[in-house]
Parts: sequence; structure tokens; C-alpha cells
Amino acid sequence: MSAPATTLPSPRRQRVGAWRRIVTSEHLAGWLFVTPAAILIGVFAIVPIGWSLLLSFQSNNLLAPPHFIGLANYRALLHDPTFRQSIVHTVIYTVLFVPISVFGGLALAVALNRKIRFIRFYRLAVFVSLVTSTVATGFLFLWLLDPTFGLVNYALSLVGLPQQQFLQDPSQALYCIVAMTVWGWLGFDVIIYLAALQGVPADLLEAAEIDGASRFQTFRTIIVPLLGPTTLFLVVWSTINALQLFDEIYVTTRGGPLGSTTVIVYYLYQQAFQFFAAGYGAAIAYVLFVAILVITLIQLWLGRRRVYYTS
Amino acid sequence: MTLERFPPLPAHGAPGRRRLPFSPWHLFLAPVAAVMLVPLVWMVIVSLETEQQAQSFPPVLIPSGLHFSNYPAAWNAEPFANFFLNSALYAGAAMIGNLVFCSLAGYAFARIRFFGSNVLFVVFLATLMVPFQVLLIPTFLIVKDMGLIDSVGGLIMPNLCSAFGVFMLRQFFRTLPIELEEAARIDGTSRLGILVKIVLPLSMPALATLGIIQFVWSWNDFLWPLIIINTTTHAPIQLGLTTLQGAHNTQWNLVMAGTVMSLIPMLALFLLAQRWFIRSVAFTGIK
Amino acid sequence: MRTTAIALLVCALIAALIAGCGGSSSPTGGSSGGGTNITVWEGYTSAEATEIKALAQQFNATHHGITVTVQSDGNNDYALQKVLAAIAGGNPPDIAYLYGSWAANIATNPNVVTINHLIAADPSFHWQDFWPAARLAATVNGKIVGVPALIDNLALVYNKRLFARAHLATPTANWTWSQFQNAAEKLTNPSAKQFGWAYVNDGSEDTVWRFWAMLWQAGGSILTPNGRQAAFDSPAGVHALSFLQTLAHRNATYLDNGNGSYLGLFNSGHIGMLWTGPWDLSQIITSKVPYGVEILPAALNHQTISGPDNWVMFNNGKARSAASWTFLKWLMSPAIDLKWSIATGDLPMRRSVIAQPGYATFTKRYPGIDNWVKNLSNAVQARPTITAYPKISPIVGQAVQSVLLGRATPQQALSQAASQVNALLAAPGG
Repeated sequence: MSAPATTLPSPRRQRVGAWRRIVTSEHLAGWLFVTPAAILIGVFAIVPIGWSLLLSFQSNNLLAPPHFIGLANYRALLHDPTFRQSIVHTVIYTVLFVPISVFGGLALAVALNRKIRFIRFYRLAVFVSLVTSTVATGFLFLWLLDPTFGLVNYALSLVGLPQQQFLQDPSQALYCIVAMTVWGWLGFDVIIYLAALQGVPADLLEAAEIDGASRFQTFRTIIVPLLGPTTLFLVVWSTINALQLFDEIYVTTRGGPLGSTTVIVYYLYQQAFQFFAAGYGAAIAYVLFVAILVITLIQLWLGRRRVYYTS
Repeated sequence: MTLERFPPLPAHGAPGRRRLPFSPWHLFLAPVAAVMLVPLVWMVIVSLETEQQAQSFPPVLIPSGLHFSNYPAAWNAEPFANFFLNSALYAGAAMIGNLVFCSLAGYAFARIRFFGSNVLFVVFLATLMVPFQVLLIPTFLIVKDMGLIDSVGGLIMPNLCSAFGVFMLRQFFRTLPIELEEAARIDGTSRLGILVKIVLPLSMPALATLGIIQFVWSWNDFLWPLIIINTTTHAPIQLGLTTLQGAHNTQWNLVMAGTVMSLIPMLALFLLAQRWFIRSVAFTGIK
Repeated sequence: MRTTAIALLVCALIAALIAGCGGSSSPTGGSSGGGTNITVWEGYTSAEATEIKALAQQFNATHHGITVTVQSDGNNDYALQKVLAAIAGGNPPDIAYLYGSWAANIATNPNVVTINHLIAADPSFHWQDFWPAARLAATVNGKIVGVPALIDNLALVYNKRLFARAHLATPTANWTWSQFQNAAEKLTNPSAKQFGWAYVNDGSEDTVWRFWAMLWQAGGSILTPNGRQAAFDSPAGVHALSFLQTLAHRNATYLDNGNGSYLGLFNSGHIGMLWTGPWDLSQIITSKVPYGVEILPAALNHQTISGPDNWVMFNNGKARSAASWTFLKWLMSPAIDLKWSIATGDLPMRRSVIAQPGYATFTKRYPGIDNWVKNLSNAVQARPTITAYPKISPIVGQAVQSVLLGRATPQQALSQAASQVNALLAAPGG
């Protein structure tokens, strides 16, 4: 360490010092760390998103030369009853799917986070649902829920309940899809919560036990808050995912019956790849994008105020 | 200060209250596991049926015989060895890429205050908000300009780093106690050193989870391979399986045999990775 | 230690990338020193997939100067996305198998090769030899934009054993709607989960095109002759949809959700009659269910509907277009077409194939297939090859579905659908 300065450094020394500060500064470090990801995401996500924005301003069927029509696609969306319907369906789906799968995942993860016999097998069983392809799950559910030959109606008949139409009933189909996707995604929430549960410090739990807290109290007051960042992550991610539901619809109901399971992304897909109106489809995607962005920012803001971080 | 990671909870409640010879948790977990395994069991059953039985509706649940020959038949019907290799390269590279790049970026967002980090993070998140159906054609154009059409490299490149991994690791890194990192910083360890020597070892469960998730997603990916792969021998497994599936005539027994075969590597990976998911990592202070 | 591990991981990643890049940009065609390479994209499966590759090899062996590479584009349902991506990227395949319902929209692409002049210049191609429905599906506003690749139609397939058990006379070529309805009801047995008939009720084109057949049988048509307005809400349309409604309400009809379970049910004896095409025949034969095939029953006529698909050529330069035309001419020539039909069970594309010496092999290998071939002469109308058709389909599909689900009367459903279609047709562009 040099002797304390009694005079200000000369201007030249000031400039060199400032430069050195920037070079060793947090800002540079931060950007260096982020750059590889930023380049990859920039090239393979941001650029395509920009291209799609341009597409939304065109009348384009991806075959004939397109023409620029400005905001006409967006204006048409305002008057599109099917689009409005798809929004309703998507919202209903999301509002049901997110809480059920996130909290179901938490419950199951807590149950799986223990040393009992066969625990590895149980975890594997839950993981299997994550790994099974959507096509296989869709096919399975179509059979299970078949109105005449399905196992679920058979079980209902055994206990004297009336037969249901399930995926063939416009008022039931969307809820069946909720059930099917919860089944498919539960494993995902479970393994993330399982990983997060490993981060709960044992000494805190021991202290609580010594203080006489019941297991449930410990869960509620220690574990749940410590899982806050993970819960926020899962809620945000599940919402983003649910608002973009597509695959499960494509392999089962294809938007029916009577359009009752047409969600936003499915409608977008129809526009682009069935009706040859890719520009309109891109406009739908952008409206959805803005909605998801707003919802996510709200969730993150709420999370910032309520989620406990150890730092 | 020692910091013990939370070991799994013991199996029983307060002493003296147990009435069953096994933990009561089995009563909950066993049925749940059974329900979760139904698709796999059904797939295995169908994979052992004859073509006629496999196409029956309602499905035949008790096959007349166990036709294990479906497995070699499926293997030979299509170049499965190529499919597996392509999928392994694709999923493996995507997994490694995500682990490396998302760790770096996730750590930066979690711990480093740098100019524009909030905006950049939101921009990253925003890339998760546009459905791939819209992005597949421009992504195709970019990959084509790189000369990677019809190659495994073309499969890998757009999937090397996803905002999902960045978001997940950022959240996870924030749950780690910052005192360790601060201590190392005072000692003069570089940021990268802190990440590699302190943060990552504590994050094995999260890294293993991200690795598994990314591997599974890439392994199960169908749409992107469909768009860029033309030659059958360059196809990964989900695309390869569709060649067994017709609009009208699907050989379900062979498709299921192929699907079951495709599940095995992922299940094996999961079992292996369990060591890192659920591991008591006792950390006894800074070296 | 950790740093080493990370370094190793990154090296492995780079190695994977290099390995993966090894197969980059495989040629999608071009002229090499030895001749012209063309690529054909198809979404065939099983027998068809094997046969197309065998035929390509045969062609390559006998036509020096042209090499045909057949590539699978996954599945015909997904072909469109892939082809659109390739077109956007500026190198479409030379030939692609595309559904006939896409023809009008695909034709808007300037690189699609119109073959009117090629046909005129080559009388040996004998365009008129192709079935009328196939020619209609390949023609958009007078321009022939594809070579017919596949033709089929809906015929009546029935389970002989179930008919015998119910002491019913089997269908004949003179059957009427009322006879059909009578049989369907008699073959229905709810306690045994047995249905007289099946109908695809997923609101998609599969729902719609069966209804078109009934509409035509009742004497109606889809659009007015000038193609500007809907004509399916006529009394004939209401009559046809009411007939469908009756069959569904008497529980005589298994409503399939679009995933094809009707076939498994028919093969296991749960359904008495189907309206289906040759694509289901091989599975029916494998299942050993005792079946018979007949033409569709009549209201005013026995018309049926056909769903032809096309080989579409894209212009990648003169040499490749010429090579593609040579290949398609050869592929659809009567001798090769018969070979294809024998191997796959698909209907012959040309009338002259029936007179070929090997034709008996075809009808023997697929018992009942000749009924579908005969039925081709009942496929006198086709769906309009206009760009708006893909949007018309779901409108009518939902109308039919709403009636089958008991949510609307035929008149209401068709009137509403007609006004929506009229609005669609009146809108400029698309």
C-alpha cells in the first residue's frame, strides 16, 4: 500500500485510474459473463422474433410474394370472434393449470424428499411422465377418456355415475386437457422442487424442531419461504408455458369439439399452416407476446416484494 | 460456520406413533407412482403385441404372446443406430452448452450488478414468450445461412443456450448464502473462480436438474428436426419414429417398441443423475 | 479439478459440434459431372415408403444422366411446414408430395411448374387417361399445377358376420338411404357396445368431406356455379344433414374423435358399416374380419367424393425441371403405376391400368378393391380448388359437428355456416 496521498492525482493519473476502475469493474465482469449467452440467444431467438414482427405487418402465405399491409392484421384481430374465444380458453386453462401443477409439484416433491425404501423407484415413476412423449400421452388419454370404450367411463359406471363425453363434449374437453397436461408436467415441477429442497439448511430445521414447531409449521414458515425463488420461477415459467399451450391440443382435440379447445397458439398455427395466412398468425403471436410479457413483469414485480432471497 | 445441506427427512414421525411396519408415505407414493407409470406400462404392453392387436380398439391389454421380436424388427426397419447417435449428440451438446452458458449468465444476473442487467434479463425472458411455430421459419433461414441444414450441427446450434436455463439458475444461485462468496471475494478470488470453485459445487442439484431437463427436451424434440433434417440417417429419434407412423396405417407395435427403446437412455441418465439431485453435500467452510 | 472438468466439457461440446457439422448441406440437387440430381420429398409410410424407394432405384438404374433421391419429410401431415420452410429458404425440393386440398394455395408460389405446355407437347403422357377427379384436383384456374399422385374415394365397407347375425340382406349397388338407415339401426346394440355405422366427428376436413358426399347424393352442391356463394344450405343440404343427424340420434353412429379408432372398432366387430377408402383396406385384411365392399347408398344418386393428392414440381432450373418431368412421366406411366398399386394397395391413377395384363394380381391381392375402382366413376364432382377452401372447411366442419352434438338444427347450422362462407368469399384477398 502506498502512503496516503496528500494531493489529488494529476489529470492523467485520474483518467488512467478511471479506466482501470472500469476494466476491473463489476460492469465489465457482468457483461463478459453474459456475452456467450447473449450472442446465442440474440442470434437464435431475438433475430427470429424480429423477423416475425416484420411478418406480422404483411399479408403473407409464405408462397406468393408478400405485400406490406401495416397494422391491418392487428386491426382484424380486434374484430375476430375466434381470436377472442381463444383468449378465453387460454386464460381458463392457465388459471387452472398453473396453481394445480405448481402446488401439486411441491406436495409431491416434499413427499419424495425422504429416505424410505423404494424412494428411487417412486422418483423414477414421477420422472417417467416427464419423459413420455406428448403423442403417446395424448393417444393414451384419448383412449382412457373415450365415451364408449374408455376406462374412465367404465370406472364411473361401476360406481353408478353417468357416462361422460369428456373430450367429445365442448363443455368438458378443456378441463380434460387440464388434467392431461397436469399429469404430463407434474414431473417437471417435482424435480425442480426436489433440487431446491436440497438447499434448505438443516440447522434451521433443527432449530425449529428444538423450538417445538410441528412439521407443518416448519414447512409453512421455513421451507416454503426458502423455496420462494423456486416457486416464483415455476409460477412464471408455468404461466409462460400454459399461455403457449399447443402440443397436447394438436395430438388430441385439434381445437375442437366446436372450437372449445382452440387456444391462442393453436389458432395461430391454424392461420399459418392451414389457412395460409402466416402474417396474420405472426400478428397473433405478437399480441400474445405482449400479454405474456406484461403478465410476467407483474409476476416478477410481485415476487420481488414478497420473495425472500438469502442475499 | 459450517453449513450442512439439508439431508432427506427421516422416514418416521414422532417415536411411538408408528403403527404400520413401513412408512405411511408409501400409502401415498405407491398409488401416485402407479398412476404415473401407466403410460409406460401401456407402451411396453403394446410393444409386445402383434401388429393386429396393437391396432385394435379398444386396446388389447393382455397380449396373446410376448413378441419381443418387435424390438429387433423396429431396430432394423429404420436406421435406429443412427437415430440414437444423432439424438445423443444433439441432446448431449445442448445439455453441455446450456450448463456452461447458463451458469455464466445466471451467475451474472444473480450476483453481479452491471449496467443494463435488468433490461437484458427481461429481454432474455422475452425470448421464451414467442411460440416456436412462429420462429421456426426464420430460425431455419439463419441455420441455412450457416450452412448447417440437414446436419446435427444445425440441430444443436439454436439450442445451445436457452433463457430458460438462465432464469432457472439465476433463481437458484440467489438462494445460496452470499457470505461464502463475499469471503472469497475479499480473499481476492476472481468472479470466475468464485463461480467455479464455490457456487457450482453447491449447485449440483440445480445443475443436474437443468441438465436432465435440457437433455429430455432435446431428446424429445420433433418439430425442429422435422424442418431441417432431410436425410433419414441424419434424423434424431423422434423424427425417425414418425417414419413408422402413417396418417392411416401406423404399426403401433413397432412404434411403441421404438419409443420404449428411446426412453431407456433418459431413464438411465435420470437414475445416474440422482446422485447429484439428492445428495447431502456437507460443506465445511472455505479452503 | 473443477476447472479441468469444465474445460473438458467445453471441449466435448466443441467436438460434438464439429462432428455434427460433418453432414452439413447435403445436396438437394444440382448438376454434377455425371448428370442431374433431383430430390423428391414424400411422407409415405410402410409399404408406400418402401415402394417409392425401390422405384427410384429402378429409375436411376435405367435412366443414366438423372439421379433421383427420395427423402422422407416425416409424414404427409407435416409436409406443408417443411416445404414452406424450404421455399422460404430458397431451395425447395424438385418434387414434393402435397395434399390436393393445398393445391390452390401452393399454386400461388411462382416457382411451381405449370405443366399444361409439357402435357400438350407430349401426347404419350395421355392426360385424359387420368381419372376426372384426379385431373380436377391438380387444376387451379385452368393451370395444371401437379401430376396426380394418389386417388381414392369413399365406399361402403361392411361386416358380413354382423349382417348375418342380424339377418339382414347385405348392401347392394342399388341401396337407398332408407335401406342404409334401416341396416344401421338394426346393427346397433348398445348393451354390446355395437354400432351400425361410424362417422368422423372432429370438425376437420374428415368430417366435412363425408358430408359433401351426402350433399351430392341429395342433389346439392358446395358452391354456386360462379363460385362466389355457398350453395350447401339448400334443401338438399338440409336433407343430407338431417339424415346424418337421425343416424347419430338413434345412437346408430359411433362418433370418432378424429384419431381413427373407428377402424380398430370395425376390425374387432363393434361397428357394422363404414364409409371409408382403400387406405384402411390393408388393416382390415390383416384383422381377418369378414368384410364386403359396395358403392355408397343413394338419395338421388350414388355419388362419392375423392381426395386426390399431387406431385408438385418446383422450378430449380431448366435441367432439374426437365429431369423431374421425366421422372414423373415414368412414375405415373401405366406399367409403373400398376406396379405401385400391386405393391401398396393404392388405386390406379389411370383408366388404362385396368386393361393391363397384371391388373388381376391387384384385385386378387386386395379383395374388394375393384369396388373402389368402379366407384371412381361416381366421383364426378370435386371440392372447389380455390385458395379459400381451407378456411371454408372448418366453418362447415363446425356446423356438422354442432348438429351431431345436438347443439343446432341442420337448418340453423347450415344457414349460419353459409353466411360465414359468403362473407369469406366476398372478402378481398385472403
